[in-house]
Amino acid sequence: MKRFRFHWLFLAGAALLPMVSPHLSEVLRPIFIMAILGLGLNILTGFTGILNLGVAAFMAVGAYSYAILTCDIYPFQLGFWGATGAAILIGLVAGVLLGLPTIRLRGDYLAIVTLGFGEIVQDSLKNLDVITKGTQGINPLPAPPHPSYFLFLGFLSVVVLINRNLERSRVGRAWISIREDELAASCMGVNVMKMKLTAFALGAAQCSLAGALWASFLGSSGEPGNYDFQISIIALCIVIVGGMGSIGGVLLGALVMVGFNTIVLETFTNFLKAHQLISSTNVFTAPGNWKYMLFGLALILMMRFRPEGLLPSKSVKAELHHDPS
Amino acid sequence: MTLLDINELTVKFGGLKAVNNVTVSVSPNEIVSLIGPNGAGKTTVFNVCTGIYEPTSGRVCFSGTDVCRPFCWQTALGLALVGVITAKFLALAVNIESLWANAITGNYVYQQPFPWMKALISARETLAGHWVLPASIGFVVGIAGAFAVWQRSRRAPEISARAGIARTFQNIRLFNQMTVLNNVLIGMDTQLRTQLWHAALRLPLFWRERREAEKSAVEILRFVGIDRHLNELAENLSYGDQRRLEIARALAMKPKLLMLDEPAAGMNPNETQGLMGLIRKIRERGVTVLLIEHHMQVVMGISDRIAVLDHGEKIAEGTPKEVCCDPKVIEAYLGKDEGGGMRDE
Repeated sequence: MKRFRFHWLFLAGAALLPMVSPHLSEVLRPIFIMAILGLGLNILTGFTGILNLGVAAFMAVGAYSYAILTCDIYPFQLGFWGATGAAILIGLVAGVLLGLPTIRLRGDYLAIVTLGFGEIVQDSLKNLDVITKGTQGINPLPAPPHPSYFLFLGFLSVVVLINRNLERSRVGRAWISIREDELAASCMGVNVMKMKLTAFALGAAQCSLAGALWASFLGSSGEPGNYDFQISIIALCIVIVGGMGSIGGVLLGALVMVGFNTIVLETFTNFLKAHQLISSTNVFTAPGNWKYMLFGLALILMMRFRPEGLLPSKSVKAELHHDPS
Repeated sequence: MTLLDINELTVKFGGLKAVNNVTVSVSPNEIVSLIGPNGAGKTTVFNVCTGIYEPTSGRVCFSGTDVCRPFCWQTALGLALVGVITAKFLALAVNIESLWANAITGNYVYQQPFPWMKALISARETLAGHWVLPASIGFVVGIAGAFAVWQRSRRAPEISARAGIARTFQNIRLFNQMTVLNNVLIGMDTQLRTQLWHAALRLPLFWRERREAEKSAVEILRFVGIDRHLNELAENLSYGDQRRLEIARALAMKPKLLMLDEPAAGMNPNETQGLMGLIRKIRERGVTVLLIEHHMQVVMGISDRIAVLDHGEKIAEGTPKEVCCDPKVIEAYLGKDEGGGMRDE
């Protein structure tokens, strides 16, 4: 019960934030989107134990679907809600299409296939320039109908709610049992293939939603190169840093990973600039250029001192620390 | 009528015959034990019965039918559907650029209403003559792929589980990081009717079924005697309780046949006694039990019949008394070891 109240507190705080600090709420919007992406991956990697290295592809599918369905250089022009709904459905179908032929692969092999899928989607978007305008990206897109901060916060809340409901139901239980011991789960009558496919479909749908929101945020689909391996890895880092299989953890992970980039590094750079501690001629002095090294260092330290993530789910924590109690 | 009928079963792993021509049948409400020295092929027999291994030859029938997915009209329809979808997908994918250029770009005038019918007609015209080859390739590939997947998943553990065979494992395979209650609820999964949308939106069925399922899970845990550990993680239970939890999880499936793979391994004499009582109680519930065990005290104490395997072959079958005195069995067990061979360590 106590935890439950905390959730409402966070939500209320987030809703009031734009009044307190407009700048911070500006910066938070991409974090909400990355949190949705991380939650999508969390269903696959955190709950079901499927390592997916190609979530950026699903995000690209969502972003381009949204762009094609709203941009006025195409005849569809469905508007925000219609296009977002369609993007979710298209992502779902893309997840099933990728899942069906590959679901029987295990562990590393599946990871390689998803990695390949990411590259294929990116290249297809580049080469289908009749439809996707190649490397230009599709723009301009109409602005969302509501203030995007609240819109994204609303979407994130709904996604969190649905994920939590699923986690504490038959579906989530079956997913976690597959992660724990696939053979035992199937001997108990859990339809492993169906549950994995469900995870794929729902995870892809959420990543696709993140893509659609991202496109509406940018006002452009972005170019295909934006949805590269790096995005997939950042999504994976969000899940791992936050805590695999823990919804609160993923939210925190998104805040830390993306927030570090957009809030901490930016403030630090501005501070250094103001005191003339960095010269524009020497790129090595700009903190922003060190970010991936800092990420790497942070990950190494995490793995050493807190392998279960910042806010671990109870069960994964137990997996990594064998307490005698 | 027999419940489980293992008929001339042979399983080969490469050149190794793990099980050779074994025939065992189990009648309803019996307790049958499968014994034999290590490596005799007992667990392999179990794994075939539960659909983990494919038999090289021979059949395993459960309540009169082979435990595998039958080829029925739904299967044929499913295959055809996959074929058609793949065909359409491929036909569209191959022609996507010209389709888009003719139907969408060709008909759209900036900020004018879009003539959907005209677009549909130009799409048909563009496709005409260009769809036959990709569609037929897609159809064949789709059907062949779907058939291969179906063929390979014909004999899967979940099929035998749904048919009513539950099992435990020699080296305990619990869901260690789930609570005791959730472990049992997984066993109940096949009986639940909650679907994804019920769970996601928490519709009334979800609440009702959760209440009922948790109640009967607690009942089962009480039956095996570990209901006090309800919310502990499975891995934190003692060894004996973990064995009991595995049995509880299997019982939650409401099986007709319960297959126990060395349930007494690693138990102290006290726990072993309790286990024997439990197995008898399970039989009283109308569940048939097939047992692999090394503890001769357990085997001789509760079995109605015993089948003895050695090097993959069945060397004896009968009541405990008959098997006990069978010279072949004594040789298999005592042949190399002088004295004490009948006692498990």
